[in-house]
Amino acid sequence: MAEKKVRVLMAKPGLEGHWVGLVVVSKALRDAGFEVIYGGNMTPAMIAKTAVQEDVDVVGLSILTANYMQLVSETLKELRNHGKGDVLVLLGGTIFEDDFPALKEMGVAGIFIPGTPLEDIVEFVRKQTSQVAQEVS
Amino acid sequence: MTQTKEQHLSASGIPIKEIYTPEDAKDISYEKDIGLAGEPPFTRGVYRSMYRGRLWTIRRLTGFNTPEDTNKLYRQEYELGQTGFSVAPDITTCVGMDCDDPRVSADVGHSGVPLCSIEDMETAFDGLPIEKVSTYLAEKHGIQTAMYFVMAEKRGVDIRELRGTTANDMLAWTCVNLSNQVPPQGYLRYAVDFIEWCSEFAPKWYPVSFDSYNARDIGVNAAQELGMLFATAIQYIEEEKQRGRVPLDRFVRRFSFNTAAHNDLFEEIAKLRAARRMWYKIIRERYGIDDPRCAQFRVHVQSSGSTHTTQEPLNNLMRIAYQVLAGVLGGAQSIHANGYDEGVCLPTDQSMLLSIRTEQILQYETNVTNTIDPLGGSWYVESLTDELERRTWEYIQKIEDMGGMAKAIASGWVHNEYKKAAIERARKVTSGEVPIVGVNKFRAEKEPYKVPIFRPDPQSAQIQIKKLKRLRKKRNSAKVAEALQKLEEVTRRGENVMPATMEAVKAYATLGEIVNVQLKVYGEWPFPIAG
Repeated sequence: MAEKKVRVLMAKPGLEGHWVGLVVVSKALRDAGFEVIYGGNMTPAMIAKTAVQEDVDVVGLSILTANYMQLVSETLKELRNHGKGDVLVLLGGTIFEDDFPALKEMGVAGIFIPGTPLEDIVEFVRKQTSQVAQEVS
Repeated sequence: MTQTKEQHLSASGIPIKEIYTPEDAKDISYEKDIGLAGEPPFTRGVYRSMYRGRLWTIRRLTGFNTPEDTNKLYRQEYELGQTGFSVAPDITTCVGMDCDDPRVSADVGHSGVPLCSIEDMETAFDGLPIEKVSTYLAEKHGIQTAMYFVMAEKRGVDIRELRGTTANDMLAWTCVNLSNQVPPQGYLRYAVDFIEWCSEFAPKWYPVSFDSYNARDIGVNAAQELGMLFATAIQYIEEEKQRGRVPLDRFVRRFSFNTAAHNDLFEEIAKLRAARRMWYKIIRERYGIDDPRCAQFRVHVQSSGSTHTTQEPLNNLMRIAYQVLAGVLGGAQSIHANGYDEGVCLPTDQSMLLSIRTEQILQYETNVTNTIDPLGGSWYVESLTDELERRTWEYIQKIEDMGGMAKAIASGWVHNEYKKAAIERARKVTSGEVPIVGVNKFRAEKEPYKVPIFRPDPQSAQIQIKKLKRLRKKRNSAKVAEALQKLEEVTRRGENVMPATMEAVKAYATLGEIVNVQLKVYGEWPFPIAG
């Protein structure tokens, strides 16, 4: 059986327009063999809908403003409402360390601040998704 | 001479020699290419006395939470001796939506101050002497400035005497992904309308600040930065030339510019010197405009946020100081030193103070302002200035061959350049080719310290929505509808939109309502980056 590629949706909830992080991480994941769906700026509801339509395993969010608590919580809620509460959710951007525990509590699997080596992100996704695959089989 | 295998390159990829001699500057004519400050081609500075006559303006782009909180901040900045205000609109305002728009719920009061109506503008500037200071408005093409002008009128301040600058720049505003934007051709129309109007009614206002800061921060190099900057300015002039409503010398008289100050100290100095000489050539040689004031490349520079790290944020203080020094040695008229916490959060009170002090220390303690263009005549700096100029002309030509900047943006070519540059920079950071201290070089195992962080007030949206609801109830809605109808008509007829925009603002039409008229006429531009 051909191995199914891990599918990743990369999106920015909210209206803030800095796209470089999202593009650069998308490229790194694509180069590492993941199937990346680039969503760009999307509302939390659009992210959830796209995650369902594209049947993704991972949702990567990028936020560079201090409103991430609200945006992440809304996105996770929408994902759950759309029956996609089980996807691996990653968050990148200017996230305060003090908020890491609360975000993880909420359901964010990995948090990556600017300056994180790209290979660390790729490695994290690879490890986490292979774990999920093992649990399923 | 020692030989190493490694090639030494500037940040923009220009090969740099081990040492420079008169041989490297032998084709440069002092009379023709350098000369004195305040004299064509202005390589050494736009004014004759430069910093001896007037120090650069310390101007920091700020704004946060609500107009009320921002007003408190502006008052503090004024007391600290800041000589100009600089308004950063929040994300909501940047995309042209009102605070009560359901699409913006999370973004109100983030990254700037919300300015939905003239009421917000009046609150932000309450008690501040707008007749004395100059204000920079980081806005698209005139709506917030119309609010500022109407506010001045209401206070009895003559608009003809007002000093300040509106960004009004197609380049910077199309770099970032903002929804709700009109396409580049529509942008150009509004921008040029605004300049035409100011040239007649607000002659002391700088109606445009061509801005390559964001483009540079995405990752393009210094020659691309200047190339995009000038290609945009040329596009504006071409547009007016075609319209023929305002004589070109009057149209360009108060153009101003805004660039980044990046890490490569000498290249950044050379960049500003090259830019001055090039702008002179564009105005004098290409457009045949004789008025020397039109050929002065007046520039505001800002330390490059993309070079500031989240790791060990205090290191950014050093980066910022060097970048500001490049701006000073390059002869900038106005400088914004970023907060050292740029890579972490919006600036705290302490980091804001430090960035003002960084500039004041340079102004008052280092004597760098004692003489004009201190690096002029350096074989290295002169040859670097020349090389950057040469590369920039080539880049401008490329854009012109595509039909100009608006087309180059609309076709997606410019954004492809950004994307390539961003990915290339990421590759070089990963490989270590671009060393970043504390990140990919000498990285600490564990973050050695924490800095205080700024958190925006989560109540801002609610406060703004309440005020806006009150305003919508209080205003004469028939008058608003009439003003917006009028605005749509003049927009469709191709007349200058500024008078109708001012009327709409006066009637308390909101930002979102005015932007909706633009979208009705031009449609929304799909951002050309799709992964």
